[in-house]
Amino acid sequence: MAWRKRREIGKAGWGWTGFAGIISFIYFFPVLWIILTAFKSNADVLSVPPKFLFTPTLENFVSVFRRSYIPGQAAVDTGFDLFFFNSIYIAGTSVALALVIGTLAAYGFSRYPLRGNDTYMFIILTTRMLPPIIVIIPIFLMFRLAGLSGTYTGIIALYTAFNLPFTIWMMKSFFDELAPDIEDAGRLDGSSERRVFFKICLPQVRAGLAATAVFGLILTWNEFLFALLLTGIDTRTIPVAMAQTIGGDIGVRWGLLAAIETLFLIPVIVVVFALQKHLLRGVTFGTIKR
Amino acid sequence: MSALILQDLVKSYGSVPALNGVSFEVGQGEFFCLLGPSAAGKTTTLRAVAGLEKLDSGTITFAGRDQTGLPVQGRDIAMIFQSFALYPHMSAYDNLAYPLREQKLPRAQIRQRVGEIAEMLRLSHVLARKPDTLSGGEQQRVAIGRALIRRPRLLLLDEPLTNLDAKLRHETRAEFKRLHRELDMTLLYATPDQLEALTMGNRIAVLRAGKVVQVGTPDELYDGPVDRFVGALIGAPAMNLVTATSAGAGALETGFGRLDNGPWSQALGGFGRGESLLLGFRPHDISPLEPGAAAPLTVQAKIHLTEPLGDITVLDLRAGDTTFKMVLPEEKAVAYAVGDEFDVSIALERTHLFAAATGTAIR
Repeated sequence: MAWRKRREIGKAGWGWTGFAGIISFIYFFPVLWIILTAFKSNADVLSVPPKFLFTPTLENFVSVFRRSYIPGQAAVDTGFDLFFFNSIYIAGTSVALALVIGTLAAYGFSRYPLRGNDTYMFIILTTRMLPPIIVIIPIFLMFRLAGLSGTYTGIIALYTAFNLPFTIWMMKSFFDELAPDIEDAGRLDGSSERRVFFKICLPQVRAGLAATAVFGLILTWNEFLFALLLTGIDTRTIPVAMAQTIGGDIGVRWGLLAAIETLFLIPVIVVVFALQKHLLRGVTFGTIKR
Repeated sequence: MSALILQDLVKSYGSVPALNGVSFEVGQGEFFCLLGPSAAGKTTTLRAVAGLEKLDSGTITFAGRDQTGLPVQGRDIAMIFQSFALYPHMSAYDNLAYPLREQKLPRAQIRQRVGEIAEMLRLSHVLARKPDTLSGGEQQRVAIGRALIRRPRLLLLDEPLTNLDAKLRHETRAEFKRLHRELDMTLLYATPDQLEALTMGNRIAVLRAGKVVQVGTPDELYDGPVDRFVGALIGAPAMNLVTATSAGAGALETGFGRLDNGPWSQALGGFGRGESLLLGFRPHDISPLEPGAAAPLTVQAKIHLTEPLGDITVLDLRAGDTTFKMVLPEEKAVAYAVGDEFDVSIALERTHLFAAATGTAIR
């Protein structure tokens, strides 16, 4: 509307800022609730109305790793240190593998298109269209036959395969965005195709790598269904171990669960913060440049 | 001696032809321009010479060596792109150093050469900055520096001034001429702008629809265009074209009356009566007729529009139902106003004649 004064771009008023703050708080509240609960004693956890001021305790965190399963008996290791290691190792390795393979594949699809390139890309996407539960029985049987059940190799291979379609699609769109002249300039400057990829293309899609890595990590970190069926006692991941902690003879220990969840959150938060500079550019790709 | 020889280059993208048999030769140390509208095949020609484009057929010889099948990296050719194509993730210094690093030169030598080229191109103060923080002119100079730093024997320039503003374009034109003189390098320069080609090129090849239409010095192209396309492309304001028909015996029937004894009369002798033709004459070759003077081609014209351009003024004239432009120096133009009628003389010996159907020059 012509008569209305144009708002200065880039500045929101106090009203909108406050509104955004309230929405953010509502979204963040469950996380805050969990973190608070993790520091409460058993009595405080169950008190009604809930307490927001209480004496914090670390006892829940201690019992994540050592506790007695039967009241009165000595505390024993719960194995959660191993489960944490498993989660980090499995998620980290599979996402790293997916990034390496997927980025190379995406570069290939972007720069050296095959006949029917789009069809290939579509087929890759269809592997992610099925709800995973549909394929779980054949995969379970295949893993049993191949002797991969309960092994790191098995679950890492599966997660890598799961992350690949997403990685290829994301990275291809980043490579598609790059100006081809810049790569040609590299060739004229004497770079081999390999060095064009590593020295010129890859550094330009760092934001994309970061965004893809974070999405992949979160997806893999939270995965429950396949981990439940395909990991053994030595390769169990946190989501499965957490579910198994819920049951028990003495009812649900909410404080303990909240402590596990809090610990479970830390790596995600660390990764997101470490990559946030790239992430913001990554998730808004295509909208800022040019 | 020709440094670069292009023979019959043919290239198409799918069913779209880009080059239809492009041939020309560029001399050692020459500033050679490729002039043509967009999609004429200028960029494809440059990319083929660089080795970035695989040709369907044709050969490119550079410094006596057949380049066909040679990888881009081995050609000792540098190129400046229209988009500058700087490495966005590297500082200006790293952009300049990149070609030398790829040659694995020692670090100290790289630092020295980057220092020299930065000095020459007035970039020393911006070396630490990334390309997106540089001005258009600075980006352009980094692109020039990156192309020159490994001292290639042939430099390709693909519309390097298109992304610059008018003032910068003027300065950079002078810069290119200076660099060419100082560095004694062969330059192949693609541009859609006839002014750039005329002011910088030793010779010019005019390209249209993937074919070389004419090759020559700026004067040759200006004075003897092989067809109406070249005639209209070179020179500003563009050449006037008015319809005419052959009247037999080397004479011409035009809206200005019957003409003979033109530079084209002899060639026209072979034409029958009634052929459709186009008479071309440049706005600079028209002058007001002094009272009492006589000239072989005079026209009574009325001023329809004036365009003052500072030092010159372009007058849009009408004579009968034909319109044409003439150029007058500012101090003479002040005497005329829209609506004035006066006699002008068109330099008959500098007129051009083209066949209307094909556009080919008759001479």
